[in-house]
Amino acid sequence: MDMEKRRSGLFIGLWTGFVVLMIYLPIACGALAGLSRGRYFGFPVKEYSGEWWQRTIDSFEIATIVQNSLLIAGIVTVISVVIAFFGALAFARYEWKGRKLYQKLLLLPIFFPQPVLGLALLLWFNSLGLAPSWQTAAVAHLVWIVPVVTLVIAIQVYSFDPVLEDAASDLGASRLFILREITLPILWPGIWSGALFAFLLSWGNFPLSLYTAGADSTVPKWLYSKMVAGYTPMVPALGTMSTLAAATVLLLGGLAMMLIRRRAAE
Amino acid sequence: MGLALVKEQSDVAKPSGAQPLPVLQLVGVRKTFGDFAAVERIDLDIVEGEFLTIVGPSGSGKTTLLRMLAGMEAPSEGNITLRGELINDVPANKRPTCLVFQSLALFPHKTVGENIEFPLKVKNIAPAKRKERALELLRMLRLPESYYGKNVMKCSGGEKQRVALARAFAYDPDVLFFDEPLSALDYKLKKVLEKELKDLHKETGKTFIYITHSLEEAMVMSDRIGVMRAGRLVQVGTPEEIYSRPADRFVSEFVGEVNVIEAVKSSAGEWVAAEGGAPIKLKLPSALTDATKVAVVVRPEFLRFVDKPGAADNAMNGTIYNEYSLGSRIQYQVRVGDKTLLVELSRGNGWKGTLDTPVLVGWDATDAIVVAA
Amino acid sequence: MADVALAAPRTESQSAPKRTVAIPAGLRCASPVILFLLLGFIAPLLTVVAYAFATPRSFDVFRSFTLENFATIFDSSNTVWMSFAWSLAFAFCTVVLLALVAYPIAYGLNRVFGKWSGLISVLFVFPLFVSENVRLYGWTLFFIKNGVLDGTLKTLGLAGGPEVLFTPGIILFGMVYVYLPFMLFPMTLGLAMVPRDLVDAARDLGAGRLMIWREIELPLAMPGILIGMLLTFVLAAGAVAEAKILGGQSVIMITHDIEIAFTYSQNWPLGSALAVLLMIIISGLALFVMSKLDLDRILGKR
Repeated sequence: MDMEKRRSGLFIGLWTGFVVLMIYLPIACGALAGLSRGRYFGFPVKEYSGEWWQRTIDSFEIATIVQNSLLIAGIVTVISVVIAFFGALAFARYEWKGRKLYQKLLLLPIFFPQPVLGLALLLWFNSLGLAPSWQTAAVAHLVWIVPVVTLVIAIQVYSFDPVLEDAASDLGASRLFILREITLPILWPGIWSGALFAFLLSWGNFPLSLYTAGADSTVPKWLYSKMVAGYTPMVPALGTMSTLAAATVLLLGGLAMMLIRRRAAE
Repeated sequence: MGLALVKEQSDVAKPSGAQPLPVLQLVGVRKTFGDFAAVERIDLDIVEGEFLTIVGPSGSGKTTLLRMLAGMEAPSEGNITLRGELINDVPANKRPTCLVFQSLALFPHKTVGENIEFPLKVKNIAPAKRKERALELLRMLRLPESYYGKNVMKCSGGEKQRVALARAFAYDPDVLFFDEPLSALDYKLKKVLEKELKDLHKETGKTFIYITHSLEEAMVMSDRIGVMRAGRLVQVGTPEEIYSRPADRFVSEFVGEVNVIEAVKSSAGEWVAAEGGAPIKLKLPSALTDATKVAVVVRPEFLRFVDKPGAADNAMNGTIYNEYSLGSRIQYQVRVGDKTLLVELSRGNGWKGTLDTPVLVGWDATDAIVVAA
Repeated sequence: MADVALAAPRTESQSAPKRTVAIPAGLRCASPVILFLLLGFIAPLLTVVAYAFATPRSFDVFRSFTLENFATIFDSSNTVWMSFAWSLAFAFCTVVLLALVAYPIAYGLNRVFGKWSGLISVLFVFPLFVSENVRLYGWTLFFIKNGVLDGTLKTLGLAGGPEVLFTPGIILFGMVYVYLPFMLFPMTLGLAMVPRDLVDAARDLGAGRLMIWREIELPLAMPGILIGMLLTFVLAAGAVAEAKILGGQSVIMITHDIEIAFTYSQNWPLGSALAVLLMIIISGLALFVMSKLDLDRILGKR
């Protein structure tokens, strides 16, 4: 039995390792391509150079689209966390009549192909007379990201014991005081991961931006237009930078959360 | 509002005092959820400084009653008054009462000190003063002062209990409510904390209202006990009254293991056992003069083995088929006809019989309680 | 306690009926989300439906009503059904392959990896934050002529890599690659719902591995697995990037057809009619599966 268990554990470990490797292999290929000298990619790389990175950093066009992406991600993070915080309380904390229906409505946008959602939003903005721009793209991101963040926070809310609020109220605290001193601090890890998800999902989103950003571009949208229109090593270079940026945000976010947890555990 | 909590012994209002003022008064209090009445028209005066325990099985409405007293639920009918003022719709955070929850509801993200200081922070008391008070309370609850900065989730079960109590005392309520806070603890710790709670009650002179499903717990601590069943208060009295003069069969059975022998009035006007028809000597309370059927309740410690029928007022033939050691006492299970009677003897008086031998079980009429069947 | 405000005692009797029913706290908290989704999700979908019944090649939405668009789609000379077939077939294959790929990993995250589970989960979450076109483009660089695979093999003195780009197989591979997290995480949540005790109890009662898996693990983990399957099916059925980037348009997916109608041919009503058909398939499936699930149990784990 034990032998068999160890063997299956080994198989699972090897398989997981292989899949992780496969996940990061294309990202590594992109990094190589961005760092090779010359216009066309060939492997093994004959000469490495930071030329394309430099050109990408210097490009005014790219600075604008990075700005767009950051702006959209920032706005989406703030709005989605605020809406989703209350949405998660309704999802997991309160018992109310329409809750089951609400839970299902909330999931629908996640269970929906994003390209089709993007096109539908394009039609909707058009019939409202709104010209597509980075603002409409932010709204489109929210349609998908608000439900995701709600779920992320809801998972934290499920483990929140509402009796704590009763107890605080019994000790004389007002609603606002309870929210500030009890509810928010306890849900803080969930809210924090929700914010990370919101920022990173918006930063990396391609299908919604493609159809709803109009003449404005975001990093993934710009990359796509260059992929179809003709290769330049700036594509893998910017792709790698964007990936590294996301990894840094995730790392710092995770680190901050660990520090908060550790302080709480002391 | 004086922060001095530990009153002089002589100040403590004793429930036995002459006509003390009721601190809480319930008049016709009823709570319904839809068609279901969780609490049915309860009238109750709670005396200043007493330790009152409401006891009842789960679903008897005791928690609903407590939530109404604490202000987390408003009564559907009737009035609750605190020192003469109607408080039906006063929310929990505006009442000078405090509840110690079953789960204790300690704030997991705050330290022991921060938990205790919470009600003081609500009242905007300066941090230095808060800390001083928190340390005072730690001492009072026999927790080391070094616990002030400790993560509350790292405390043991008994320590958490004390932190929860300290937090409640920090609020300085007039009345403290307890919702079975000891139920999750092991037996030994529970016994220790029961005594501590009783001591704290004496030291502080506050009114304690405790609910539990364990009458044993209630007996140890309370000045008065109220027994609830199906939303009604069946009996309110001192532990002694509840034990020796239960109002009905439910209360008597709730108090502990009892032998219940049903008796009916024969055509000749004599009381006989409903099963078997043997004559039974009993002392009928005046309230049951007209009854034709009663339940005779005999506690196991009042049953004994006798050698001949005349040695006790009543005697029945049976067979011992099992014995249990209860520590200082031994309990015997005796089959009498289809029934099983419990006989409890102290270890010293242990009966030297063997299992499966016929015995005569007897009791005196004065040791039995007669209640409506 | 003089500073604790008490309500003034009331003179009238308390038997008056309860105050008027307030909006429940849950609904109050849900209302921003609901309002936003009505405006940002339901309304756009209704607009698509409205367009589907508008005069072809026009923007006369809400002013015309015709079934012409649907007639065009169902016309026997139209080959758009091929795109539907490709998309649904790809989606089906993606689900099957992903179930096989993800199950051992989900099992490992629950039972084998112990304290490493958190870190390994992060490794699987992270790709979600890199746009799919960047990741798919990496595969192009891997498989392309003189790319990483081809170059490596040639350096080793072999004949070079196989020509896999621009084939249906690589599209399927791309889908499995992109949608892995959407299968893995619901599946992991599902497997976490299987109490350890039950497996031990079943083994104690003499059940073999296969028996335990079939009778205990699979049925209890089913809600999570179902969500994963539904999610990946839906996303794969609407996928387009894989076919464009890896497939080089060797296969036209249904979303691609919809996109063409919306962009190049400027025939919004036709595109909308196609989108409506896709939405019917997808939401029908989604609503059917979701009606069988209790989300509190899957996410809650109190």
